[in-house]
Amino acid sequence: MLITRNIKMADVIHLNYFTLTVLNRFGIELGFGDKSVEDVCKMYQVDADFFLEIVNTFVDKDYFPKKHLQTFPVKLITNYLQKTHDDYHQNKVPEIEFLIEQMVNSCYTQKDKIVLLKKFFNDYKQELLNHTKREEEVVFPYTLAIEKAYLSDKPDQSVLKLMETYSIDVFQNEHDNIEEKLFDLKNIIIKYLPQPKNSKLCNKLLFELFNLEQDLNDHSRIEEKVLVPKIRQMEKIITEGFAQTK
Amino acid sequence: MTNVTFIIIEKSYLIRKGLTSVIEKIPTTQIVQQFETAEELNASINSDVDFIICSPDQVVSLSKEFKQNAQLISLTAKSSKISAKINWAEHIYLEDTQKQIIKKLNDLIGNKTQKDSVSELPEEISKREADILKNIALGYSNKEIADKLFISTHTVVTHRKNITRKLGIKTVPGLTIYAILNKLIDINDSGQLT
Ligand SMILES: [Fe+2]
Ligand SMILES: [Fe+2]
Repeated sequence: MLITRNIKMADVIHLNYFTLTVLNRFGIELGFGDKSVEDVCKMYQVDADFFLEIVNTFVDKDYFPKKHLQTFPVKLITNYLQKTHDDYHQNKVPEIEFLIEQMVNSCYTQKDKIVLLKKFFNDYKQELLNHTKREEEVVFPYTLAIEKAYLSDKPDQSVLKLMETYSIDVFQNEHDNIEEKLFDLKNIIIKYLPQPKNSKLCNKLLFELFNLEQDLNDHSRIEEKVLVPKIRQMEKIITEGFAQTK
Repeated sequence: MTNVTFIIIEKSYLIRKGLTSVIEKIPTTQIVQQFETAEELNASINSDVDFIICSPDQVVSLSKEFKQNAQLISLTAKSSKISAKINWAEHIYLEDTQKQIIKKLNDLIGNKTQKDSVSELPEEISKREADILKNIALGYSNKEIADKLFISTHTVVTHRKNITRKLGIKTVPGLTIYAILNKLIDINDSGQLT
């Protein structure tokens, strides 16, 4: 079911409670009574069109209106991506760490093996941190600079300089698949971690891992299928525009 | 058991959705991705796929890489002409019933999994693969492993692919944990996790 602006925000959550994550990222807090999506968005100064597309792609993995998503300002897109990074580092990753730690503490017979998982996830956490840091420090500022140059009527020399040293294609090439290790970790727990293990904790942990993996998929898709083509198009027009003024 | 993977290229959302739900009824199958056009697929990163289902007019624009690696299945109305120049593995018609589609695909999948099992034992990793896995876990590169075991780097890469496919583990740290859990190496020897 496609979520539209006239639906009650409360019903969005009833429809799929994973949307709570998206609401959080947009800074929307609970307690909105029977207000519609549109009204709640207005209250929180959130762009309702953008919210709707993001929440719909999040709920239905087959729904992905690339072209429409590419029409939103870069700032909106990178803000959402940034908020998602924050959510990983502040909530999702610590939760997984906590569960692994509990597994270590509750296990006596094979502590050494659970400790392996802990180490594995620790390394992964660092990798994820490097990944998002690179995007926040290099990629997002670059995309904003490109958009600014694209919107201004006179060619900006400094942006052209910048484009000589970096381009969105560089990002696309260096953008690595951050989900792979989670996939491995899941399989190790499902298939290979020997018994006895605390199955309650294992289930919780797996649930969180599946959740993070899927969220990362959704996130990377926005980066690669929305942000990258959008910026590539702008780069092209900036270069052409500059060639004309010469 | 390994999954058989499909890509669907089809402009119509309804047809894509419908075909996907039929394929998903077959155990061990997996729709990797759906695309509207072949160009879109070419631009994506995914190249590991067993079958591509598409209308014949899309094949022209399909990149070589995909044509070589995957088997092609046509998707048309019964009345439309299908170019015989292309080496089709199977034809699916819009008029087909669900049963017919499942039968056609099951036959294809059956052929494929049989072929695979001739060349290697399913699931269990071989003695040779265990040797290679052990060296991966110890932190050696493909080149170093090739030199140590007197085989070509290419052979090492092939073994690695098979190991990953059989175990469902893709990364070196992941393989290292597997190796330790299965006592192929000792915790203290691992290059990755110390
Ligand atoms: Fe990101
Ligand atoms: Fe990313």
